[in-house]
Amino acid sequence: MSKKVGFLLVNKDYTLDGVRSALGLAVENMYAYAYVMNNELTDVSDYHKENIDWIRDMEGEVYSTVDANVDNLGLVKISLEEIGKQLRDLDFVIPYGILRSDKS
Amino acid sequence: MKLLNVYRSEPNDDTKKLVEIVSEGRDAEAFNLNVESPDYDALVDKVLAADQTICWW
Amino acid sequence: MAKSLGIFVTSPQNMRHVMGITKAAKAKGSKVKVFFTWYGVHLTKCKDFPDLCELADEVSICADSYKKCGYDPAGDIPKGLEAKDMATQGQHGAIIEEYECYLTL
Repeated sequence: MSKKVGFLLVNKDYTLDGVRSALGLAVENMYAYAYVMNNELTDVSDYHKENIDWIRDMEGEVYSTVDANVDNLGLVKISLEEIGKQLRDLDFVIPYGILRSDKS
Repeated sequence: MKLLNVYRSEPNDDTKKLVEIVSEGRDAEAFNLNVESPDYDALVDKVLAADQTICWW
Repeated sequence: MAKSLGIFVTSPQNMRHVMGITKAAKAKGSKVKVFFTWYGVHLTKCKDFPDLCELADEVSICADSYKKCGYDPAGDIPKGLEAKDMATQGQHGAIIEEYECYLTL
């Protein structure tokens, strides 16, 4: 059975690469979910937008707690509590990179 | 479900909330890596015994 | 035989943990595979990195991340690795599929 994997992306310096890494698992036939928390994505290239689209094409999703990411990039809005509930159903939870210095 | 929560740094409020939700009703244990000399031997024992390990930031 | 352990390294801050956990797991008889990606690839420049490559059963890094971090994946292969270890995210997939225990550092 395909594994379900969630990437928790809290640091802008790591988020777009975390999305790329999630796509890397999606193409390995896993369900990959990315959760962009507390960071607004700017300078998002067409390459990165394609990565988001590909994750969706492979039955994954990219969520965000940040309204600007929902409005600008079409990410699916989610709350912290909803993220927690979804994580309970995943086989692997990956807190990616490091916390932002102002959040740690 | 035996869950191991490992902390690489001091958890912030969001991390604490997520840990609370994912741990609810489960046999959850915590391990703090954010110390001068972590007991890696003890950590590996816990990882090998757990059904799932989440290594928080 | 102890369970196998895969370690996915995404942070540039955790070399001591990668080494400490790998040493402890090998001492218990576990097979250990480590994959470095994004800023985690900076750890290939730590003095301990070749020792980690000796100690672990498999070590590989994301060549794309290595390049984005300013290194040359063809001309500057980290000591301890071979060209085949300059890999893709597929190595992370292999950890998830083939290893019994999993850690993110």
